[in-house]
Amino acid sequence: MSAGSDTKDQVAALGEKYKYGFVTDIETDRAPKGLNTDIVRFISAKKTEPEWMLDWRLAAFRRWTEMREPNWARLRYAKIDYQDSYYYAAPKSTEKYESLDEVDPKLLETYAKLGIPISEQKQLAGVAVDAVFDSVSVATTFKERLNEAGVIFCPISEAIRDYPDLVRKYLGSVVPVTDNFFATLNSAVFSDGTFVYVPKGVRCPMELSTYFRINASQTGQFERTLIVADEGSYVSYLEGCTAPMRDENQLHAAVVELVALEGAEIKYSTVQNWYPGDENGKGGIYNFVTKRGDCRGARSKISWTQVETGSAITWKYPSCILRGDDTVGEFYSIAITNNFQQADTGTKMIHLGKNTRSRIISKGISAGHAQNTYRGLVSVHPKAINARNYTQCDSLLIGGKCGAHTVPYIESRNPTARLEHEATTSKIAEDQLFYCLQRGMTQEEAVALIVNGFCKEVLQQLPMEFAVEAQKLVGISLEGSVG
Amino acid sequence: MTAAAQREARRTEALDSFRVRGMPHRRFEHWRYSDLRAVLDAGQVAQAGTAKWQIDKLPDGVELFDLATPEAPDWVMQKLGNVGNRRTMVEASLAFAEGGVALRVPAGRKIAEPIKLQIAGQGNLRWLIVLEKGASARIFEPHTADAGILRNVGVEISMAEGSELQHVRCAPFMPRSFAVELIAVEAAKDAKYRAHFANFGSRLSRTELHIVLGGEGAEAHLSGVTVLGHDGHSDVTTHIEHAAAKTSSTQLFKHVAGGKSRAVYQGKITVREGAVGSDSRQTARALLMSPRAEADLKPELIIFADDVKCAHGATVGDLDAESLFYLRSRGLPEKEARQLLINAFLGEAVAAIGDDALIETIWHDIEAALPRAMESVK
Repeated sequence: MSAGSDTKDQVAALGEKYKYGFVTDIETDRAPKGLNTDIVRFISAKKTEPEWMLDWRLAAFRRWTEMREPNWARLRYAKIDYQDSYYYAAPKSTEKYESLDEVDPKLLETYAKLGIPISEQKQLAGVAVDAVFDSVSVATTFKERLNEAGVIFCPISEAIRDYPDLVRKYLGSVVPVTDNFFATLNSAVFSDGTFVYVPKGVRCPMELSTYFRINASQTGQFERTLIVADEGSYVSYLEGCTAPMRDENQLHAAVVELVALEGAEIKYSTVQNWYPGDENGKGGIYNFVTKRGDCRGARSKISWTQVETGSAITWKYPSCILRGDDTVGEFYSIAITNNFQQADTGTKMIHLGKNTRSRIISKGISAGHAQNTYRGLVSVHPKAINARNYTQCDSLLIGGKCGAHTVPYIESRNPTARLEHEATTSKIAEDQLFYCLQRGMTQEEAVALIVNGFCKEVLQQLPMEFAVEAQKLVGISLEGSVG
Repeated sequence: MTAAAQREARRTEALDSFRVRGMPHRRFEHWRYSDLRAVLDAGQVAQAGTAKWQIDKLPDGVELFDLATPEAPDWVMQKLGNVGNRRTMVEASLAFAEGGVALRVPAGRKIAEPIKLQIAGQGNLRWLIVLEKGASARIFEPHTADAGILRNVGVEISMAEGSELQHVRCAPFMPRSFAVELIAVEAAKDAKYRAHFANFGSRLSRTELHIVLGGEGAEAHLSGVTVLGHDGHSDVTTHIEHAAAKTSSTQLFKHVAGGKSRAVYQGKITVREGAVGSDSRQTARALLMSPRAEADLKPELIIFADDVKCAHGATVGDLDAESLFYLRSRGLPEKEARQLLINAFLGEAVAAIGDDALIETIWHDIEAALPRAMESVK
């Protein structure tokens, strides 16, 4: 293709020009396939990044070339050819539909089941949104309120330009550049993401959500999120969307870093419903995410809540480093796998400070031919006096062809610490099912009801508007798994 | 091929397999808490020699074969080196042991009197027990403290339909030795394996069980106590595979770690596809008595069938402050109160042995080990 070779030439030319400095105006929207230092430079140039950022990326890239892909997770997938992907694709002006009538009816059906308002449906499906309902105006009012409070909420590429000191101070301080294969890859090639800074003592006036950020659709496959909550502040952040996302990218490797300073609290909720592949396990997203929060100051708190229903492969361990004294870490998770999906997910709670507390509630549901693994670590260091952990991992199996696995690591080096771990595995009881059917429910309604009951403790942790949709999502994800 | 030639061939195979895989180390996920390669090299394993075994009084009806004799009978040839999977240290014990013992309990024979199999000295060793259909036996396996640098024992237990075995192993405190014992059990239909492991720690101690419940209704019931002090290390690793329907297993392990010791328990339960109606329960609890002690627990469930009941629980902590306060308010000195509570903590697991004489032996060893475990090191 001529466009491809054009780009190649331009990048090659770019390599030459780099000796003399930056070139910013490149009129291409896609870097050629493959990954090398030129691509890293290309991405950095596209974002008009300062030199320190480019150096940071290049260091990460050099390190990445020496790293090996981890294989310890209970996941099976064809080997990924990292040279066969595109690492930068500028936001294409995607085909806009004229009206909802042109959108795939299957997609609309799902929207209806989730109870998404018409205007939102249009935006999700890529329909040109009417000016009256323009979410941009909604976003603008939001922006004003955030500005008043002093909260910074913007794309990370903007933050690198506008708040370089803040970004430089915290970026990579929780997930080091060399942390793991996928995090290092992300550090080299991340295209965009979100930056949030909540100043001292500020309680963020609203739930922050990428959905309302104007250019949310621009965030590519390598997202980078950095949230800093300064002393005594509070922020609740929602990521993702219950609506199914049609995404062309096979490989996703995001990094999320949270920093909670003294007395701050961060609540991070995720609903992930990316394309899981078809009933025969063909296609689907590979999702390799590194999420970590650092309770850096005393009395800070980080709480992760996740509902994972999408992706063919999920590799994700949102963790908390409980560094400050009296800090609290929480992890609430629902992972649903159906058909040929595979999920290996869990958390790490690293207790370093005194009186640190952590709580893990994980609910895994496996149906069809899916494999669902909880993998978690609770580690208490010698100085973590009076550390406390409670872990509960429950698995539900639907059908005899799926698998549910629990792999917890419990390591204590302090005699005053108390750690408790419980895990159970069960199936949907015949009598529960019979009772629901006998009351006139259909099989699918009954399964959705029972599974929602099973997940209740986690669903309760979600912000209200999310929780309602998530409950419906649980039902939809398991459609066709019984009978 | 003669039996002796076949044995030689299998030994060469074992040697090659050990050479290729080498010493287990931290990067083997199930050896992450016991890095054997860091403290011992393959040459030392090869040169450790052969440990000694001794059975003073063999109960009537049990057949014994000394593995030092090359021409082995069929029942030995069928099983030796063939029970369980070929883990690297198992292959090492097969390759380097110049001796060992094989026992057979013929079909239908119920042996009430325990067979006392004492293991002594430094080196590699193999022992094997074959229980034929409907047979039952009890085996008590005490280890002496003179293990030198390394004692590496490979055990094979083959249980035919309806057979029963009770196995009690007791390993003393050996601060200078590396002690490895890998046990493989195959249990056919309705076979019942009960085991108790008392560990008092060594420089590095690994007790590993791999049990395959291969026939419908097969059962495994494991319990154990670990009491550690000083620099003691004890790693109990179990893997129970539910490979047939209606199989059941229970596990109860209690650890007390004082001084600078490290208590490890890793328990993996696999339920294979089709092993419906399986029931598996696992409990691991650890008491940390000192700021320098460490406990690592890894209870693992790998499940491929839906109609099963599986649960595990694990706790790590100190003695309950309220219970301690209660006893002290009744006038008990702190040390005595602590000891009483530790005894109660361990008691449940020891009681699972079910044999008064053996329970008494184990308690005797626990009492000897407790002062070490109750020592706190700053």
